[in-house]
Amino acid sequence: MSKPSDLVQGTLDMLLLKILALEPMNGFAVSQRLKQVSGDVLQVSDGSLYPALHKLEQEGWITAEWKTSEYGRRAKYYSLTRLGRRQLEKEADNWDRLSSAISRVINLKQA
Amino acid sequence: MRPEHWLYTIPLRLRSLFRWAQADRELDDELRDHLERATEEYVAKGMSPEEARRRARLDLGGIEKAKEECRDARKVNWIQDLVQDLRFGLRMLRKSPCFTVVAVLTLALGIGANTAIFGIANAVLFRHLPVRAANRLVVIWINNLKNGWSRIGPSGQDYLDWKEQNRSFEDLFLFEHGTGTVTGAGEPEQVAGLRVTTNFGDFFGIRPLLGRTFRLDEASAKHNLVVLSYSYWQRRYASSPTVVGQGLTLNGEPYTIIGVLPPELRTVFPGDVVVPFDNDWLKRVDSDLGVFGRLKPGVTLKEASSEMAVIMEGIRHQRPDRKDFGTVLVPLETARVEYIRPALLLLLVAVGCVLLIACANVANLLLSRAVGRQREIAARIALGASRGRLVQQFLVESTIIALIGGAAGLLVALWATYLLTRFVPDRIPVPNAADYVSLPQLHLDVNALVFTLFISLLTGVLFSLFPVVQSLRINVNDALKEAGRGSLSGPRGNRMRATLVIVESALAFVLVIGAGLMVQSFARLLETSPGFNADHLLTLRVKLPNDAKDSPYREPRTRAAAFQRFLSNVQAVPGVQSAAFTEIVPLSQDDMDMGQFVIKEEPPLPAGQHLAADYRDVTPDYFRTMGIPLLQGRVFSEHDDPDNLRVVIIDGTFAQRFFRGQDPVGKHLQIPDATRPQREIVGVVGAVLDTGLDQQPRPTIYFPSLQSPDQTMSLVVRTALPPSSILPAIKNAIWSVDKDQPIFSVRPMDQIISGITSAQRVASLILDVFGFLALALAAIGIYGVTSYAVVQRIHEIGVRVALGAQRSEILRLVIFQGLKLASAGVLIGLLASLGLTRLMASLLFGVSAADPLTFAGVALLLFAVALLACYIPARRAMRVDPMVALRYE
Repeated sequence: MSKPSDLVQGTLDMLLLKILALEPMNGFAVSQRLKQVSGDVLQVSDGSLYPALHKLEQEGWITAEWKTSEYGRRAKYYSLTRLGRRQLEKEADNWDRLSSAISRVINLKQA
Repeated sequence: MRPEHWLYTIPLRLRSLFRWAQADRELDDELRDHLERATEEYVAKGMSPEEARRRARLDLGGIEKAKEECRDARKVNWIQDLVQDLRFGLRMLRKSPCFTVVAVLTLALGIGANTAIFGIANAVLFRHLPVRAANRLVVIWINNLKNGWSRIGPSGQDYLDWKEQNRSFEDLFLFEHGTGTVTGAGEPEQVAGLRVTTNFGDFFGIRPLLGRTFRLDEASAKHNLVVLSYSYWQRRYASSPTVVGQGLTLNGEPYTIIGVLPPELRTVFPGDVVVPFDNDWLKRVDSDLGVFGRLKPGVTLKEASSEMAVIMEGIRHQRPDRKDFGTVLVPLETARVEYIRPALLLLLVAVGCVLLIACANVANLLLSRAVGRQREIAARIALGASRGRLVQQFLVESTIIALIGGAAGLLVALWATYLLTRFVPDRIPVPNAADYVSLPQLHLDVNALVFTLFISLLTGVLFSLFPVVQSLRINVNDALKEAGRGSLSGPRGNRMRATLVIVESALAFVLVIGAGLMVQSFARLLETSPGFNADHLLTLRVKLPNDAKDSPYREPRTRAAAFQRFLSNVQAVPGVQSAAFTEIVPLSQDDMDMGQFVIKEEPPLPAGQHLAADYRDVTPDYFRTMGIPLLQGRVFSEHDDPDNLRVVIIDGTFAQRFFRGQDPVGKHLQIPDATRPQREIVGVVGAVLDTGLDQQPRPTIYFPSLQSPDQTMSLVVRTALPPSSILPAIKNAIWSVDKDQPIFSVRPMDQIISGITSAQRVASLILDVFGFLALALAAIGIYGVTSYAVVQRIHEIGVRVALGAQRSEILRLVIFQGLKLASAGVLIGLLASLGLTRLMASLLFGVSAADPLTFAGVALLLFAVALLACYIPARRAMRVDPMVALRYE
């Protein structure tokens, strides 16, 4: 298997926001989902996942709630806020532009 | 969008800061939960539990490290940002020194004034007395509303009855003001004293500095124990630690010193010595004592009052001398400040207005400054700074200004407090009760510091409100494009500035109205004739000591003779124009004496109805000395003595009320009722104000002191010489009769009058200062706004001038603008004043709360001030060179 690529700096926030946009979930589930959807290409170390989540919470883009899940287990569930949704749109836009620009450059054919 | 974002994150950040411990615990739980799930996952994939747990932990990279990083994610931004803002703010302030100085000065004045007034209010109104359960202490007076007596000191028997029968009070305390002579060690010294029931120490929770207070079983004359006050101990015994057990000769009797009171009780007991009541004597003390009660916890004043009313009902049946008497209960702390509370509240409101005006000025300054920084702000936003950060920075800057202003304000407050201590009296009268209370010393303490800090922060928030809200609405594109202008110089900014100035002017109007009304009240009060000539009058009190069993003054004739001898000696002193003795000096609040009477020539009144009047014992020359006019008949002479016809003189009020139309001279009074021998009315004199300059005169019956000698009398002396130079001669005149005679309460009549007008005097003085400050600040505000408007419209002015407008037109234009602001301010101020001055009605005298002259005068004053403030900008506008102006962008 090829080595999992390092995430481009700053995009981790965007990815987390997107995952939470789909449904609220706790930190463990977020990390699982990320691995699952990206086909293990994007691997976020758990050690950097939680600081990132807390930073997002601090900025007001996600909000957290302690819920009692099945099996009576208490866990912290994150969900996206309205502000977060807007932030996500903004960052997704930026990413589109960036990635299109990069693609255009890479796909330059030899003259 | 952005402001909401910023506002939303504040609670989050605050939560991180304050709920640290809880957040930390939650973090712990969260990570632990993660580990559990990860472990389960690995176990489900087939690992052993220990292996799974190890892998999970490795994945996480160490719990503590993860926790640390999470904490950082929450914390670091906040503090780093703050430090950066602080540095930036300080630099900006240094770059515009003019602005900073003006802002700080304005704030210093506003905050300093507030701290000073708060200091007084705190010391007088808010601080509890330094005694046990101060908030449960109640003064108990008796009253007789039928006779028009609202507060009278009860008698010893009343106290004993109440003590036995009541169930609302934990304890009752009784005291009597007195004076005495201390002899034996050098000069005889007159001391002020208190005679108390022996529960003195326990009732007030006194912890003596030295020795002890009285034990309950020491209520007997044979003990002769005395407790010294702190100041007396300092003064007379040089704070000697061995004073307990020493002897003291008081009023000719030997006493033993058993203790010294602590210094903080000085305001509550401003005397020199304290002695206990003898229980037998207590039963016989007639009246004029003071009684305090300590309510049981949970008992309200109303409940206690009702119970006392019932008890009094019972007493009325048992003791006929208490017929028609009731009780009045007033919380001690309320009664003490009754006189000065309205004035202090007025000052608190007034100084609050001053602060608002100062804030408005600083807000305007900030607005003007923000205009210049529009481009800088816009650029920073374009480069990615969040508006939240900018607002935070703005606030930090404002807080710095506010805190510096506050620190400077503390200096202002210190100076103001020093000045105030010279004007605020050290004792105030208790209304209707012929008594005084001492005011605590004014000094700034920790409370004042806390208050200053709080006020500084509050003003910081207040005055930054406008500019902050404005700058949040900056349209970045517009601000960057236009040369130097932006939303703050547009119509919205102007409106904001204008609003601030109008509010300032309105507040200034209200303040100056208050000051004007107060000054007039004070002047009218002083103008009120008290019924006698108050100039060049010196008073002092003489009490014949008759405590000792062998005292010669127990006999009324010896008392009368003694005062005669004093008087003839005093009258012989060069410089004394006339002198006399009276029982109570008018307006002095020294004492009261009143009772009932019957007019012999009138038909008897129906049962239960009585007539009452004040009684005064005076020597024959009293009316001449005081300058009280004789309206009919004659004054007393030396023939009105016990061997001759009993006579009285009544005053004009008495004649008018009880002898309407008839000639009172020759009629007879029986005092206090028809069982007593008659006394002939030989004269009618002018009415005298006794209880206060703003009170009505009370009907008074004068008795010749020879026929009714007292133990304590006040000497009144009319002399053109200053009191300090003639006083020693007068004292010697008295001491040449008896060298140990106590003389005390030496007061020129001026001093007495200033004592009872202190509330109005202090209020009008301070309000004058505030009014002046307010006008000055409002003027600066109007100047600022008009000035700014001129600069803004320079282009337009240039065009007008180029098109042929006269200079005078320009002048009119500018002045008109300033006057518009002023008129709006006056209008609002007028409406506000009409509503607010009603609240100070209790302090006003001789002038209505809606006095049209005052209102008109203040309106004119404000217009004049506005005119002055517009003058300079107007002249600048007039001198505009069209060439330069047209080029100005």
